[in-house]
Amino acid sequence: MDKMAQHPIEIYEAVQDEAAFEDRYSRQLRFGPIGSAGQDRLRSARVLVVGTGALGASLAQHMTRAGVGVVRLADRDYVEPSNLQRQMLFDEEDARSATPKAVAAARKLKRMNGGVRIEAHVVDVSKRTLGYLLAGVDLVLDGTDNAATRLALSDACFSLGIPLVYGGVTASEGMSAALIPGRTACLRCLIGDSAADDGTDTCDTVGVISPAVEFVASLQAAEALKWLSGNREAMRGTWVTADIWTFRVRELKLPGGRSRCACCGTGASTADNRLRQDDKPAIEAAVMCGRDSVQVTLGEAIALDVVRPLLEERGCTLTVNPYLTKAELPDGKRLVLFSDGRVLVQGTSDAGEAIRLCTDMLQPHREGESIVG
Amino acid sequence: MADSTSKKLDFQLYVITGTNYHPGRSMIDVIEQALIGGADIVQLRDKTASKQDIRENAHKLRQLTRRYGVPLIINDHIDIALEAEADGVHLGQDDLSLAEARRLLGPDRIIGISTHSIEQGLAAQAGGADYIGVGPVYPTGTKPGRAAVTTSYVQEAAEQIRIPFVAIGGITLGNVDTVIAAGASRVCAVSEIVGADDPAAVCRAFKARLHAAAPQRSEVQADDFAGTGVIVNGVAQRTTARTVWELICQHRLEDRRVVVELDGEIVVREEWSCTPIHEGAAVELVHFVGGG
Repeated sequence: MDKMAQHPIEIYEAVQDEAAFEDRYSRQLRFGPIGSAGQDRLRSARVLVVGTGALGASLAQHMTRAGVGVVRLADRDYVEPSNLQRQMLFDEEDARSATPKAVAAARKLKRMNGGVRIEAHVVDVSKRTLGYLLAGVDLVLDGTDNAATRLALSDACFSLGIPLVYGGVTASEGMSAALIPGRTACLRCLIGDSAADDGTDTCDTVGVISPAVEFVASLQAAEALKWLSGNREAMRGTWVTADIWTFRVRELKLPGGRSRCACCGTGASTADNRLRQDDKPAIEAAVMCGRDSVQVTLGEAIALDVVRPLLEERGCTLTVNPYLTKAELPDGKRLVLFSDGRVLVQGTSDAGEAIRLCTDMLQPHREGESIVG
Repeated sequence: MADSTSKKLDFQLYVITGTNYHPGRSMIDVIEQALIGGADIVQLRDKTASKQDIRENAHKLRQLTRRYGVPLIINDHIDIALEAEADGVHLGQDDLSLAEARRLLGPDRIIGISTHSIEQGLAAQAGGADYIGVGPVYPTGTKPGRAAVTTSYVQEAAEQIRIPFVAIGGITLGNVDTVIAAGASRVCAVSEIVGADDPAAVCRAFKARLHAAAPQRSEVQADDFAGTGVIVNGVAQRTTARTVWELICQHRLEDRRVVVELDGEIVVREEWSCTPIHEGAAVELVHFVGGG
């Protein structure tokens, strides 16, 4: 990792398996294509799971139980009651305490397999943070919930030569494809970058059922196990689209990389690391589609212990845990503040209003300032 | 009119709306089926609806026919034709005069006139009509009480009329061959098409009869009229789209995140506009699933 992270991280180091657990992988070892050679490869592999929601929690569990050496989790969100219906790693206490998803997931995973190094990164996955998160990773599992993050992931993975196993799910439908630099086209070539997301169904508009999540996560996990255990010729090479309610499954053949694409084309330069080129504006706001929320990125760390008294003075009710501070405003809107400079503003879909709320609520006192003009 | 060819009047199958023939189904659905089947021109005709309803339907049909690259004609209502940006109007013998209509519509819009005798047909031609209707060839429920002109007027029109004429009135798949034999190369049907369970299939059958009778047309032209037979998400249909991009636009998906499969392989987005749609192509249009 080439630079210090600014976001909260919790790391559980791998510990030696007790003798009592020596049969832990026995059924996987008996599975011919993996065997002991494949298990050794899994043990030395590192995987990044982006998003630790429904897909991500399931994917992380598959990787951890299978004995992948390092499971790195990255998620910007915290656990809420509406997650519990399908996000398999979380419980009511996680929702009550508004624990960040990556942290709550890591704690559960650690109890499933102490032999795996689990890293929980409470972070917004973006071009800015991907360089750090992708360092040393052999494969990326997509558990995100939006096209923009997936496109940023695809760009970064293709520039670094890291396979990205896409998965998406809404209602009872799902899709998955392993996008592999040098073999397949990148996500940007397949779904485009200019199309409006408006009108795209999301879990927040049309719902989602957990069997659909598990179906897609299983497709993704199987491809990851093939790649990481050395069964690379067994990769499926197709884009699967399925509906498990009506039960239709269809496979579409993935095309190869486009020669003219800067990401997946033959002329793509992996040396051209575009991840660190973007200069971040002071404050960014991203409207979170269908969720009546805006994510504001302040561009500097927030000293949570400093702003808490300010928020209380300004009439907010606070929920505090080591990772975030949740402030309920008198009008019902909520600010969820993370020390890395992110604020989730809930109760508005207006980016301007969200930025204004953040700057108003977090503005320090100006002692001695005169109102006389 | 000197510019009649620029008004895209190369039609063979003319379809007119008739909502009373398809209770329980929407006009837009039925007309879209007709377009999928190969209708070349559509007329909105409704003698009973309120003007506001006609106006709304005109706008909807305009959007629909644009997607299929087919002209839209409005019966009677010149103001609605102008407002909805229709391609023209169709007038009866008792409606506004041709000269007045032309003054209101300008030279570029299509004006069609219903005629019931060769005298009326020649008068409309002389007056600057872009096409005429010739009928009713057979007695029809659409125009009850009007005496049929029989195929003898079709024959006269074929001999004397130099602008496009379309045979209309009681024409069915059962009698269309007789009408064609009398000299018609363009026909119009209402109830036979919009009252059918499968309007697309009926249109395809009409187009096949018209093609069979017009061997002098070049193959290329005939193919153009028929569109291209494709299977989209498992449903056979005909499309005027020549590329994947045009097909996407006809399905109004150009602003959506969709993955397109052509004959088993995904087509990357950049190649949509240069990937041709061929006869028999199997296309799958799949909405990108983004939740997680």
